[in-house]
Amino acid sequence: MINLNNVNIVFSDVVIKYKDFTFKKGEITFISGPNGSGKTTLLKAIANIIDHKGEIDRNGFVTFVSQKPILFSKTIYQNIIYPLEIRKLDISNYENRIEKYVKLFELDKILHKKAKSCSSGEQMKASILRGIIFEPDVLLLDEPTTALDIKSIEELTKLLNEIKKDMTIIISSHDRLFIEELNDVLYELGDPYV
Amino acid sequence: MIQESIVEAFNLLMSFDEEIYQIIFLSLTLALLATLTALVFGVFFGILISSTTFKGKRFVKKLIFTFMGIPPVVLGLFVLLLTIGPLDPVFNLFTVQVMFFAQFLLVLPIITGNIIISSEKTQKEVLETAETLGASRMDKVKLLIVETKPFILMSMILGFSRAISEVGAVMLVGGNIRYSTRTMTTYIARSNSMGDYSKSIAMGIILLILAFVIHSILARFRGDFYD
Repeated sequence: MINLNNVNIVFSDVVIKYKDFTFKKGEITFISGPNGSGKTTLLKAIANIIDHKGEIDRNGFVTFVSQKPILFSKTIYQNIIYPLEIRKLDISNYENRIEKYVKLFELDKILHKKAKSCSSGEQMKASILRGIIFEPDVLLLDEPTTALDIKSIEELTKLLNEIKKDMTIIISSHDRLFIEELNDVLYELGDPYV
Repeated sequence: MIQESIVEAFNLLMSFDEEIYQIIFLSLTLALLATLTALVFGVFFGILISSTTFKGKRFVKKLIFTFMGIPPVVLGLFVLLLTIGPLDPVFNLFTVQVMFFAQFLLVLPIITGNIIISSEKTQKEVLETAETLGASRMDKVKLLIVETKPFILMSMILGFSRAISEVGAVMLVGGNIRYSTRTMTTYIARSNSMGDYSKSIAMGIILLILAFVIHSILARFRGDFYD
């Protein structure tokens, strides 16, 4: 669960205030709104990547998957297992899970290809898998459908529905179809005082 | 003239003249050693400057970027003054050691500056991503080295190109002494001033061929840079 209590974030020289804002476990919350309304900024503040004032209660580990996939100079597979490696977890315990999601996202054919030579859609899918493979408590997805085709969005919808019961998922998006498909809670930004 | 020089270049190489090979060996050794030494310091300073925040950082960066374009002859003059001044106990003028020092100083800002420019943005994104995946400080350092590797090689190529091609600094501090401190570029300058243009161009061709061979070897480590 994530709880924002009188949080102030500076965004483009404007201070955006968030009063008593709660994101619950088992729910997918969408943050929508026009460009420049501060969706990414809010997610980055929750991920503790940017400075903010006020209190953000984070119960558990928060991971952030950015709109532009930042994959490391490794293969797709090495990128996906990176969070497991740094936690020194036994990768064999995760093989079934990796195989299942890799097949779902149709990454199996390019699993050992250098990540940076893959298409942006493939990189986005690998970036999402890397973000969820170690089962974080909170998953933040910033505009995840931007680089994805319709089939990939359907796969992502299926995946998120499957994992949401154990996670707090917050997604910034203005993809109406995607929101309608998955939406539990929707916050529309626009007014800087939510 | 060009045709004549190509024949002259071939003759120079085939003559197995000890002086020519000594000149080539000295030039390559100096440029490679200066580049590799500057690489060690440049990568360290580059990553340190780009990944930390301190007072005067902008000024330090401006200074490094200014020194990236310093004319070799000006740097040579600076090293010359140092050698006859405070560094007198360390270096003697007209020696290979002081030539190495001058080339090292010439290449250092090029490598440091390029590491700063190329890694600043990448580092920020990579480190942020690693942080949100739970990476420790040590994990982030390891990742940073891997992610900066292509830029390190690119900086090395630029540094080596600068070192092998410069003439002003080695001429000033080395003195272009036959069988001692003469390099390929000072040989070219000397032949040119004596009106022996075909020898100048011939050595120039050899220099370009060697640079091409070294770049081809480096390209094996980072093919995409040349694509």
